[in-house]
Amino acid sequence: MPQTPLVEISDLHFARDTRAIFSGLNMQIQQGCVTAIMGPSGCGKTTLLRLIGGQLIPQQGQIKVFDQALVNISRDKLTQLRGRMGVLFQSGALFTDLNVFENVAFPLREHTSMTADELNDKVLLMLEAVGLRGTKELMPAELSGGMARRVALARAIAMEPELVLYDEPFTGQDPIAMAVLQRLIRSLNDNLKITSVLVSHDVAEACEIADDLILLGRGGVVAQGSPDKLLNSSDPLVYQFMHGQADGAIPFHYPAPELITELRTTKAISSLQTSTQTHSSESH
Amino acid sequence: MLVNCLQSLGQWLLRGLGGLGGALIMLLQSVTVVPGPRGWQRLVQQLYVVGVQSLIIIIVSAAFIGMVLGLQGYTLLVDYGSEQAVGQMVALTLVRELAPVVAALLFAGRAGSALTAELGLMKATEQLASLEMFGVDPLHRIVAPRFIAGVIALPILVVIFNLVGIFGGHLVAVDWLGVHSGAYWGNMQAAVSFADDIVNGLIKALVFAVLVTWTALYQGYMCEPTSQGISTATTRTVVYSSLLILGFDFILTALMFGGL
Repeated sequence: MPQTPLVEISDLHFARDTRAIFSGLNMQIQQGCVTAIMGPSGCGKTTLLRLIGGQLIPQQGQIKVFDQALVNISRDKLTQLRGRMGVLFQSGALFTDLNVFENVAFPLREHTSMTADELNDKVLLMLEAVGLRGTKELMPAELSGGMARRVALARAIAMEPELVLYDEPFTGQDPIAMAVLQRLIRSLNDNLKITSVLVSHDVAEACEIADDLILLGRGGVVAQGSPDKLLNSSDPLVYQFMHGQADGAIPFHYPAPELITELRTTKAISSLQTSTQTHSSESH
Repeated sequence: MLVNCLQSLGQWLLRGLGGLGGALIMLLQSVTVVPGPRGWQRLVQQLYVVGVQSLIIIIVSAAFIGMVLGLQGYTLLVDYGSEQAVGQMVALTLVRELAPVVAALLFAGRAGSALTAELGLMKATEQLASLEMFGVDPLHRIVAPRFIAGVIALPILVVIFNLVGIFGGHLVAVDWLGVHSGAYWGNMQAAVSFADDIVNGLIKALVFAVLVTWTALYQGYMCEPTSQGISTATTRTVVYSSLLILGFDFILTALMFGGL
């Protein structure tokens, strides 16, 4: 497996208002690999994708993509760099005023000087790759969620990018669409020799597809390695996340005062006391 | 207590100034680009959306307002035997005040709110982020054609408002209440000055067009990308635009007709 980092992040600090999301994040994404970024909700997975795409600027630290520093990069250079990236947004982000064909043709019209025939053929080939050539005349509103995601994937890879960022590609997909997307991401990565970074909550799917897993938490990287390495990790946070345990290093409950102090009716208080007693006698 | 009040006032002022600065930068960045061939096509599309699709509400409102002006003018003037002057009253009221103000208020409610909701939804569904990732500046692609279309459309709608309103007044005063047609048009022609009344009315329309379209686009572009955020931004567009129209109408009227 090649070991050249395509994305390098060092000492990254990023906060939204007063809430720190990353404090000293360091990570590398290897070229040619499928890397899955995972972590509990709110740990900054999508924010990280936006930082790699240059849509957000960190308060401190450096992000290098294709060996080019993103902090303080000029607008022209960033546009050039983005031409080498593709992004599959969580919602698909298809342009609602354009039909499927025009959506996929959009980046080609903007950045290439293809003839009408060349463009037609390229778009049809991309739609064929995601199995949706028959939908070319449909509007995005006429597609199901899974189909919209596949059209968005065709659009993201139309320019043959070297790096593709996938934001939650499996969320809300039925098992068939999920399997199709999974196969597509893997085959595109291997056949087109691209580097794929995907953000996912789905441990099983991510383990199946990814070469490398990065688990985010506590403002940085908690663990990085192969799916097997993370599945067998003894770190309590890694174990809890990878095995889907409700409570552990990551608390299930958002911090709050004791429930009994906030209840107002005697009925609710006695019901809570009864259930607490039942639980304690069961555990004994 | 006093310190807290001063602090809140300071924060409010700073936020307001920051917002105004942001809106100004957005406006400058979006309109300082010469549109390419496809840019003109997008401009025509937007002219259709904000202009042509606002025609019905403008025509219907103008007809009723003209008719009411004709009726009110007649009942006031007939007591003094001056009902022949109803034409000039209808025309001057429309051209100087009612057409630019009412058309702009209607434009804010129909086209302005639609622009805010459209941009807000594009933001919420990541279409603006997606454009950025394709190396296309949303300010040039999305904001600029809508702004220029709004600035072109409203003055044209105001001209249409004037024409329909004057014919509405004619319908009531001449065809229904029996004012002499020659007197209606003749007095109007003698009283309305092209330079002082029509041009000033159109300047008002242009100023209102910039204010309404700019407010609508800024609110949509900067809104919180949630259903609550879009709803708040849409309401703000209508409220802020209406207040700006009425406030600037007073200032412009004072400058144009108040002898300042």
